[in-house]
Amino acid sequence: MPSRIVTLKLNGAERELIARPSTTLLDALRETFGLTGAKRGCAQGGCGSCTVLLDGRPVVSCLIPVVTVDGSTVDTIEGLADGDRLDDVQQAFVDHFATQCGFCTPGMIMSATALLDRKPDPTRQEVTEAICGNVCRCTGYEPIITAVLAAAEHRRGVPLASAEAEV
Amino acid sequence: MVISVQTPDSAEAAHAALQAGAVPLGGGTHLMTRLNDRAGGDLRLVSLRRAGLSGIGVDGATVTLGAATTLADLEDDARLSYLSGCVRSIASPPVRNLATVAGNLFVPQPYGDLAAALLALDAELDVLGAGGARREPLEQVVTGGLRADDLVTAVRFTAPAQSAFRFYKAARRRLNSGSIVTVAARITVEDGLVGDVRLVLGGLARRLVRATGAERVLLGAPLNAETVARAAEADAIEPVDDAYASAWYRARVYPVHLRRALLGA
Amino acid sequence: MARLTPIDNAYFDGERTGDFTVIGSAVQRSDARGHVTGRTVFFEDMSLPDMTHVKIHRSTRHHARINRVDVSGALEVPGVLRVITHEDVPNNWYVVLRLIGVGPDDEPVLAEDRVLYRGEPIVAVVAETEDAAREGAARVVVDYTDLPAVLDVEEALADGAPIIKQAGTNHFVYEGHHCRRVRFGDVERGFAEADRIIEGRYSSSPIEHAPTEPTGCIVVPQGDGRLRIHTNTQAAFFTLDNTALILGVPPTSLRVVGGTVGGGFGGKVDVIVEPLACIAAMLTGRPAKYVYSRAEEMQVSSTRAAERIVIKDGVMDDGRIVARKITLYVDAGAYSRHSPYGTTKAAAHMPGPYTIPNVHVDAYCVYTNRTPSSAMRGFGVTIGDFALESHMDRIARELGMDPLRLRLKNAYRDGDMKAHRKIASGTALVEVIQSAADLVGHDLPPEYRAMSSAERAEG
Repeated sequence: MPSRIVTLKLNGAERELIARPSTTLLDALRETFGLTGAKRGCAQGGCGSCTVLLDGRPVVSCLIPVVTVDGSTVDTIEGLADGDRLDDVQQAFVDHFATQCGFCTPGMIMSATALLDRKPDPTRQEVTEAICGNVCRCTGYEPIITAVLAAAEHRRGVPLASAEAEV
Repeated sequence: MVISVQTPDSAEAAHAALQAGAVPLGGGTHLMTRLNDRAGGDLRLVSLRRAGLSGIGVDGATVTLGAATTLADLEDDARLSYLSGCVRSIASPPVRNLATVAGNLFVPQPYGDLAAALLALDAELDVLGAGGARREPLEQVVTGGLRADDLVTAVRFTAPAQSAFRFYKAARRRLNSGSIVTVAARITVEDGLVGDVRLVLGGLARRLVRATGAERVLLGAPLNAETVARAAEADAIEPVDDAYASAWYRARVYPVHLRRALLGA
Repeated sequence: MARLTPIDNAYFDGERTGDFTVIGSAVQRSDARGHVTGRTVFFEDMSLPDMTHVKIHRSTRHHARINRVDVSGALEVPGVLRVITHEDVPNNWYVVLRLIGVGPDDEPVLAEDRVLYRGEPIVAVVAETEDAAREGAARVVVDYTDLPAVLDVEEALADGAPIIKQAGTNHFVYEGHHCRRVRFGDVERGFAEADRIIEGRYSSSPIEHAPTEPTGCIVVPQGDGRLRIHTNTQAAFFTLDNTALILGVPPTSLRVVGGTVGGGFGGKVDVIVEPLACIAAMLTGRPAKYVYSRAEEMQVSSTRAAERIVIKDGVMDDGRIVARKITLYVDAGAYSRHSPYGTTKAAAHMPGPYTIPNVHVDAYCVYTNRTPSSAMRGFGVTIGDFALESHMDRIARELGMDPLRLRLKNAYRDGDMKAHRKIASGTALVEVIQSAADLVGHDLPPEYRAMSSAERAEG
């Protein structure tokens, strides 16, 4: 099995790994780099738990042989927070109770992040479409959609609920 | 098990890999799901991601889609807005950022909604084969397939006249769901009568169906509920059972969805 | 903390006097930061350098005798370390309710001489990689003789049906009885007195929990000889006890690490993956991971049982239900798991939250050659409610009566004797229906508004 050295710009840093042909991007993130925020829920591209950003766009990392994306930029949930400071989308998910079991959350947040990067002022319908590939089996879509819209507002200057709730 | 993955940087190199027995990998949204879950013999893949097969060209009315263009790229291109409903009905954004135009032509039904649209638009394929480059009508490929070492490099079609393209997909959910019935049509109406029509059905049967019987009923007839109801009876379709719907259900609702596709209600 | 909604004490004035500071307020989830940063650790979020992988060869038949199992092909696959058969399982019984005295033992961990459902595990393959384990499992060859399969609960109980269970009946035996029974009053007399008889038949399909995180575990052998089990079980002590029973070791030699579940819904209370992963770890001396693929999760993880419920009611023209007879079938699938208990729950839930003077319930726990069913959110109750409330609507339609009034008329009140000889207390159905009617703007006449759970005006 010819393994290859693959280089990724991972959460802003150049990283290398030795990949077998069957190593997926998800395997590389989880097993080589220890970035286990992206989850394996189905390995079929159907649940979205493994969603990360590849060159800025959300993808299901379970379906990508990592050797085919050598040299690409990859961003994961682990790269969003600045130290202990959560980014807007993360904070909105906390504030609006948009998590339950937490398994879908990282993928959901990456899909939401990709949406807001492209469309800072999305409609509710656009949020729904953006997360339609991310399955939340705890059926928490309503608070998730609310959180994404709140994060969008915050990016446009409206304070988050958490700032108001400090009483 | 995957024992090698090549990432050639040209169509010629990719074609050479196919000739040497490798299997083409587009976005991986169909093939990788099989490889992730199922045992199988040794497999060599050739990825088309870097083979220079991506890109959208619009030259007058002629549209050329590179084989490895992603569905997301189509979605983003304002010049292809008539395809937007079709593309956005397929899977989800993280899948559409991987899935490719040519890949969609070869996925089994009830997937392949873009293929239905392209067939309705009477698309042609640019194919790199043993004898060099050639063109093949998509209609022929849908029924006859290609050789294992043929590489599709691009899809061409003539952009439909304004509002002449109809796409309608019925699914279990509004978003991210396989098709129960897909109707794709190129249709023009002059003085209330159907002037030109090309009608393709997806999701219903094992393969895409060109509904020639319905086309004959529609041609020259007034585009109304009565005509469409007759058109829905005009083809011998063998609907399939799957997890999305039963054959019975598909047969039962096809006339309804044909009506919605062509009349809007 | 901001109060979200006031607590409605209207109907229970004086009962609740505490100064609640948490109930009704928004309180930050303690696990939310971990979830949104990807730092919450699920069982699969650990990669151990020496980890092995377990994959299963499963039955391709609904019901068959196993003549021979050939594992030689699996052992030839590079990377395959061990093949586990039933002979490697110290106590080859998985019977989750044996802990509370429910038997008989009916489900092998790995199949021995027969399979009772498609997908039943026969051989486990342990390998260096997931690919190798999968390939090895695919190369196991099983020689079967097909036996007639029973796939429907009523067919399973019909005269002359093939008996699929070694205990000798296709139903669970409740203290010598063929079903779980409730007898109250005299339904036949109730039917004779009723103005009309209204019957209904209700069926449900099996329902899969489909947790986003598949069922799985990683077992790590410890320096002191113990096994550390990282699992997404919802029931750590079921895992501990059943695994110890199957391995024939004291529970103290196992340590279960859990608590983080990527969606369970009741589907992760069976103990299916842990015993085999433990055996793999014991045989190789290395960590072992056994996690379902999505296809396995859908096909072989326990479902909510399919049920069929037949209801016959004796009803007066004024809406009073005077007799209710129910025959209820729970499809346990091939093995018991939690279904004998679920069937008892189903029987205990009848005749619903209504006071009916004559009740007769036969609730059968039936075995078929389908995927074993087990726990899921309110199992034994949910489908029964679907049937009961569908039937209440049917009665309302037949009588031309408002469905809410029909329910109010029959609703149980505090002090009523229930069919199980328990006095009803703390009932609030009347008030809930009244509130619901208000919320949707549904008109109720004064005599229905005046009803109360605390007293029964009409006697």
